[in-house]
Amino acid sequence: MNQPAYQKIDIEKKVLSENDRIAARLREALGDAGTLALNFIGSPGAGKTAFLERTLERLPMHTRAAVLTGDIQTENDAIRLQRYGYPVRQITTGGCCHLDARMVENHLDGWPAKGLELLFIENVGNLVCPTSYDLGEDAKVVVLSVTEGEDKPLKYPGIFRKAELMILNKIDLLPHVPFKAELARENARRIHPEIEIIDTSCTTGAGFDRWLQWLAARAERKRAEAMMALATHPV
Amino acid sequence: MHEMGVANSILVAVQQELDLYPGRRAAKIAVRIGEYAGVDPDSLQFCFEALVKGTDLEPLELAIEWLPASEALDLAYLEMEDVETEVSV
Repeated sequence: MNQPAYQKIDIEKKVLSENDRIAARLREALGDAGTLALNFIGSPGAGKTAFLERTLERLPMHTRAAVLTGDIQTENDAIRLQRYGYPVRQITTGGCCHLDARMVENHLDGWPAKGLELLFIENVGNLVCPTSYDLGEDAKVVVLSVTEGEDKPLKYPGIFRKAELMILNKIDLLPHVPFKAELARENARRIHPEIEIIDTSCTTGAGFDRWLQWLAARAERKRAEAMMALATHPV
Repeated sequence: MHEMGVANSILVAVQQELDLYPGRRAAKIAVRIGEYAGVDPDSLQFCFEALVKGTDLEPLELAIEWLPASEALDLAYLEMEDVETEVSV
């Protein structure tokens, strides 16, 4: 009875701590395997699937890559991506507007993740919700297309802040749209001064040399880190 | 609309804390939301109220502290009161 009728306790916890716990587990597994995991986020229609199609098409032979593609409904994107000969799995969220770490973990189940060099995760088309959910990835990549507004980075600062790389897509359309590319880049850098930006066109293939170099360098670094870890802490 | 999921995560956390304090009920849960967290505070407030309604946790207040230029999405503190005291008054 001498307990106070009122009590306030501090809670030092993330709201999404359960997701973060699974994401950490995923990150560790992907780290051990030396797999570079990238989380692609963009509006519906920004060209995420086309970008991945073009990427798969141009990957060096014998690259061990795989794709998880998220959508609210349909297997359409998986069907498109499967044409390139790499393992692809569709995550259908059934109404949920983002992927979470558990969905990714469940869909990796049974895959020979050990030998994978690259794991591309195409998030649900949405610039807001996927921002909050760590999927255990090495980097978020935001895809912005020139048919959108150049103020998107200012309207959706969260994803531009968290993304390491911005793909400015559909640049072949620049002559036909009022989009000011330099202003879009400035806006992105205002939110995130260190963000890297690569201009691409999935139609002409422009920018893909640079993107594939970026990808190869990151994948190499990840592999080297995994080997280092293995050398210092053998399993 | 992932605010529903975020609201649900908050309620799960509240319940987990309450389990450690028998005889208490939750009065207020406070969270810190950063500008870059990707969570809309109004929408979260709305979802939270909708979820709490009709549950044993009702009435439960959600206090949101907004942090500019931050990626925070953190629980801050929980205010609890004594269930018995409330009944006997």
